[in-house]
Amino acid sequence: MRTWLVAEFAGEPELLAAARALRARGHADLDLHSGVPLHGAEEALGLRRSIVPRLALAGGLSGAVAGYLLQWWTVGVDFPINLGNRPPHSPPAFVPITFELGVLVAAGTIFLGLFALWGLPRLHHPVFEVEAFRSATIDGLWLSAGVEAEEADGVAAELERLGARRIERVPEEGEP
Amino acid sequence: MNPTPFAGGRRVVWSSAAVAVVGLGLTALGGRADPRQALFSYLVAFVDWLGTALGALVLLGALHASRARWPVVLRRFLETVPLTLPLFAALFVPIALGLRDLYPWVDPRGAELIRRVAHLRPYLNVPAFLARAGLYFAIWIAVAELLRRWSVAQDRSGALALTLRQRRLGAASLPLLALSLSFAAFDWMMSLDPRFHSTIFGVYWFAGSFLAAFAVLAIAAAVTRRSPGQFGHALNADHTHALGKFVLAFTAFWAYIAFSQFMLIWIANLPDEVPWYLVRAGGGWRAVGIGLAVGHFLVPFFVLLSRDLKRDPRRLARVAGWLLVAHWVDVWWVIMPRLHPGGPRPSWMDLTAFVGVGAAALAVLVLRMRGAAPIPVRDPYLEESLRYQPR
Repeated sequence: MRTWLVAEFAGEPELLAAARALRARGHADLDLHSGVPLHGAEEALGLRRSIVPRLALAGGLSGAVAGYLLQWWTVGVDFPINLGNRPPHSPPAFVPITFELGVLVAAGTIFLGLFALWGLPRLHHPVFEVEAFRSATIDGLWLSAGVEAEEADGVAAELERLGARRIERVPEEGEP
Repeated sequence: MNPTPFAGGRRVVWSSAAVAVVGLGLTALGGRADPRQALFSYLVAFVDWLGTALGALVLLGALHASRARWPVVLRRFLETVPLTLPLFAALFVPIALGLRDLYPWVDPRGAELIRRVAHLRPYLNVPAFLARAGLYFAIWIAVAELLRRWSVAQDRSGALALTLRQRRLGAASLPLLALSLSFAAFDWMMSLDPRFHSTIFGVYWFAGSFLAAFAVLAIAAAVTRRSPGQFGHALNADHTHALGKFVLAFTAFWAYIAFSQFMLIWIANLPDEVPWYLVRAGGGWRAVGIGLAVGHFLVPFFVLLSRDLKRDPRRLARVAGWLLVAHWVDVWWVIMPRLHPGGPRPSWMDLTAFVGVGAAALAVLVLRMRGAAPIPVRDPYLEESLRYQPR
C-alpha cells in the first residue's frame, strides 16, 4: 500500500539536497512544493522536459490548418461570394483568421492540456488534511515522497537525518 | 569583472577598414559606368546598416526606460553600436550628391508625375530634405554619444546619479527616435515613389532594423564568447536564451508589420498605393516577396522555436547571420524595384556596397570599443545581471 510523507525544510539548499539524496536511494515518486520559484528543482528531481510546448505547437498548427481549410471550403468552394472583386480563394485575406485560430487553439491546448496533466478538476486531496502543509503556498519549502507503507518509517528517519524540521504523514483517503 | 579598458581589436579595425575601402571603391568605380545602379545599391546598403545601428539605439533607450537589469552585461556593446552613426552621417554625402538620380521628385518629368508631386513640394524639396537628414543625424548622434558618455563615466566614478541620467534620457529619447526613424524612412525610401504613402512604413523599416540589431548582438555574443573580459564571455545560457527569445519575437513582429502593410493596401486596392505592391508582389519581384515570407519569417520562426538552439550561442548566431542577410533582401526588395520595375536584376555593386558599408561600420565599431571597459563594470545592477536566472 502507498502512503505519502511531506517534510518541511528550512532552506532551499537543504530541500534540493534532500531531493537529490532520496532520488539517489531509488525513490522516484518525489515532488517539491514552494510558493516561490525554485532554481534547480528540475535537476534535483530529475524531471524530463515538459511536453506542454509540443502540445502547444501541435495545437497551434492544427488550429491554423483548420482555420485555413474552413475559409477555403466555405468562401472559396462551397459558397463563393464576390468580395471586393477578389478571387473566391484569396490567401492573403485568409491569413488573419488562420493566425487567430492558430493562437486560439494553441492557447486552448495549453490550458486544457495543463488541466489534464495536473489531474484537474480535482476538488480535494488528502494532503489538504495536513494543516502545516498550507505554508507551501506562502513561504514554506516542502518535499513530498510517495512510498510503500512498510518503508514509510525508514524514509521518515531518512528525511529527519537530511534536516527536515517537520515531517507529516498524509492520511489515507477515506479515513477520518 | 575586468575593469581594464579594451585595447585589442587592432587587426579587426585595419582589415575591415581595408575591406571597406575596396568595397566602397569598387562601388564608386561601378558608378562611373552606371551611376544609377551604383547609387541604388549604395542606398540599399546604407539604409540596411544604418537601420541596424538605429535599432541598437532604440533597444538601448528601451532597456533604460524599462529599467531592465538582466541585460546590463551586454549594454556596453549595445552602446557602442550606435557610435557608428557619425560614420553614417558621412556616408550620407554620396546620397545627398546623387539625389537627382535617386528621387523622381527632385526633378519631376512628365505631366503625371508633376501633378502627383506638386502638392508635396513644401515637404519634398531638396533643402528641406537635407535639413531633415541633418536633424535626424543630430538627434541620433546626440542620444548615442550622451548615453555612452554617461555610462563610461560611471566606470570611473560609480556614481548612481549617472544611472538615473541614462534612464531619463533613454526614456525621453524613445519618442524622438520613433518619429525621426519614421520620417527618415519616408524621406529616404518611401519618397522613391512619391505616389506611394503608408503611415506604417517607418514601423516596417524599424521592425526589420530592430531584428537586425538583435542579430548583431547575438553574433557579437557568439564571437566574443571565448575572449575573457568581453561581454560574450560573461553571458550564461539564460542570457543567450533571452536574446534568442527576442530574436524569435521580433521575427514574428516583422512578419506582423510587413503583412499588415501588405494586406491593408492589397485589400483596399486604391490606385495611389497598390501599384507599389503590384511591382513587388507581381512580375519578377513576386518570387523575392514570397522568398521573404519564407526566409525572413517562416523558416527562422520555426527554427527559433527550439529551446536548445536559443540557448546555444553558436547556433543562434548562425540563425542571426541568416536574418541579417534576409533583412538586406527585404531592404533591397523595397528599394530596388524603383530602378528595375520588371524584375530583380542583381548587380555586383549590390554586394560591394553591402560589404563596403558593413565593413566600414565594423571598423568604426571596434575602433570605438577601444578605450572603454567591455562591460559597464560599476553599474549597480551588473552583479544581478551576471547572476541572471529567470523563471
